[in-house]
Amino acid sequence: MEEDKKSPPTASPPVGAWGMPAGTPAAPASRPTLPPAPAPVVPPAEPAFPELRPYDRERELREREPMRDIVRPERTETVQRALHDDRLPDERRHVVTSEGRSARGRGWLWFVMLAAALGAVFAATSTADFVEHLDGQLHEIHCSINVAADQVDGESGCAMAMFSPYSSFFRASMWGGVPVSLLAFAVFAFLAALALALALKKDLTRRDTLFMLLASVLPVATSAVYATISATQLGAFCQVCIGIYIASGLVAILSLVAHLRAWPGEGKLPWGRWALWFGEGVLVVGLVLGLYVAWVPSERPSVDKGCGALVEEPGDESFVIALPSEPGAIPSLEVLDPLCNFCRAFDKRLTASGLDKKIARRVVVFPMDTCVPNDMIRQRRHPGACTVSYAMLCAPQSAQKILDYAFAEQERLLELGKTNDAALKADLEQRFPEVKGCIGSAKAKAELTKARNWAARNALELSTPQLFVDGTQVCPQNTDLGLEFTLTRALERAGYKGD
Amino acid sequence: MRFVTYVLPLLLGVAVPGVAIGAWLGDAKTNLDVSETAPKDVVRASVPEGGYCSVELKQIVRRVAGACGLLGGRGCQPTDASNVVKLSANDFNQLFLPLKHRVRIIQFDQSKTELDEDAKHAVEEAWGDRGMARFFFVVSRASPEGSVEKNRELSAVRAQAVLDHLMEVYKDPDIQKQVGLLWLGEEFAQLPKEFCEWNRSRTGECNEADINRSAFIAWIDCSI
Repeated sequence: MEEDKKSPPTASPPVGAWGMPAGTPAAPASRPTLPPAPAPVVPPAEPAFPELRPYDRERELREREPMRDIVRPERTETVQRALHDDRLPDERRHVVTSEGRSARGRGWLWFVMLAAALGAVFAATSTADFVEHLDGQLHEIHCSINVAADQVDGESGCAMAMFSPYSSFFRASMWGGVPVSLLAFAVFAFLAALALALALKKDLTRRDTLFMLLASVLPVATSAVYATISATQLGAFCQVCIGIYIASGLVAILSLVAHLRAWPGEGKLPWGRWALWFGEGVLVVGLVLGLYVAWVPSERPSVDKGCGALVEEPGDESFVIALPSEPGAIPSLEVLDPLCNFCRAFDKRLTASGLDKKIARRVVVFPMDTCVPNDMIRQRRHPGACTVSYAMLCAPQSAQKILDYAFAEQERLLELGKTNDAALKADLEQRFPEVKGCIGSAKAKAELTKARNWAARNALELSTPQLFVDGTQVCPQNTDLGLEFTLTRALERAGYKGD
Repeated sequence: MRFVTYVLPLLLGVAVPGVAIGAWLGDAKTNLDVSETAPKDVVRASVPEGGYCSVELKQIVRRVAGACGLLGGRGCQPTDASNVVKLSANDFNQLFLPLKHRVRIIQFDQSKTELDEDAKHAVEEAWGDRGMARFFFVVSRASPEGSVEKNRELSAVRAQAVLDHLMEVYKDPDIQKQVGLLWLGEEFAQLPKEFCEWNRSRTGECNEADINRSAFIAWIDCSI
């Protein structure tokens, strides 16, 4: 039997690097060179890397939405060359695929979303506290970075910030104004939603994250401004506000990281998309603002009616102390205690609002301390207030300075008054020599007693401060958040003709 | 995908804050309506009354304030006082017993109406010890030597001397509205010797005649 005469098997040509036939001059062993770019796109007959699926252009087009940067031949070639680039570590080769490209940076956007949501929580907490005070009463407020912590009562950095003129806009035309934290709430909510949208976007590139990064500048800049105001004007920081500052910083930093990690993308900047997002952001803030203005309670009879009128105006009584005032100012009467913290806070708000220049302030001291025998004040709520009041009555021309000093050193003077009234008297005499020998004298006591009797004849409330404009009392619930609005209306009724 | 990219930020950005502020403002309106209409229960300033303010004392003080001392005319005569309170002399003096620590007895020499230095000092001290009182009461007397008319006049001038001294020292027109004068002469409510133990402008020996050449002065806290 004859064996099939077959031609001896032809040996496959030996394969060198890059699938090239042997005999080709080898590239230097240390650095393989890239083959010259073939002109036509021809799938190799035998793939050099059989484990990789051959690139199928048509399949790519079918599976993905048409994107110009994928269907361009040069883009396909770049992908192809990168896939075969031995210089790239294995784990990086996959990211240059279209699926891997869009995954870059997305994970960081989830963190951006969380940071923005955190900012929204802090801003919402601050807004909720503000809105709670729209009834004019005193409530506890949140004053901790841990928003779940107990609310605090009384004076705190958060209360100072909330009752300051910097906490809201348009205070003269709306009771309490529009809280700044409401706008922050809207901005953070939008940023969180935008970060979520970008994180879900399949073809995320740096052209998208750049907008996110630029948008994060707004809360950072605003935080910087308000932190400066807190430090320089208020002298205290609000814990919840600090939370907002931190969240703003996190949003910016994480946006930057997401931007750097994102696929660069090519082509012009997507101005149209950016304009749409910007418009949406403005619309969000505008709508939230509009909802607030529309729904905020506005029926407040106490603003115009006041809380009663004086039965007996003090006139030019010797116990009434006239503070310096501007020409044309509307007469007002303030019943205050120089060692009362509410009086100090009220004085700060009045000064910060600029309305102190529109009223001619006359003061009747009403210390919440037992000053004379059988005094109507039986409990020493502010020990030492009598002594400071005597000083103001002894030297009316220095009363403003004495009052400013009492407000500035209030805690120390209260402590002195509690423990050593003689030392308090000495302190005042040393600082204001014109009151020496008068504090506690029969003359000073007589003046204070007149003031007390005047208060009794008018049946004044045993509380301070009290403000009377043109003889009508400004209701206490309208002297904090609603001060600018209420006082502006009172001045209009009284015929104030200034600016 | 377009929904997620372009609509989601707008929807969530408005919905989340919108729902929250809607709820908060609803509560705020309810609280405001309550606070604006609720009656305010506040403590008000008033002149506290001393424990000695009996009905009879108030009647005396009111009479002096209303018709005898403050509203035109100066001082009341003894018959007015006794008509007002319908008290015996002893009962009248008993009204002032609770004021022992506040009263100062300004003493005069026999048939004299001038205040000596100790008397002036005592008047000023009493005036400074006002507390919350609104009314400064001066009840002057004369000892029984001399005629009734002379003693009545003497006691009237002694009461006026106290007022004049206050006006001279303090120069306050309000004093006129705060001081009430009641002169009793020798006719009504002579003080017994026990009153020598009270706060007098003079130290040393004291008998019934000495204590009745006097003006009884004190701030009164009673609301009349």
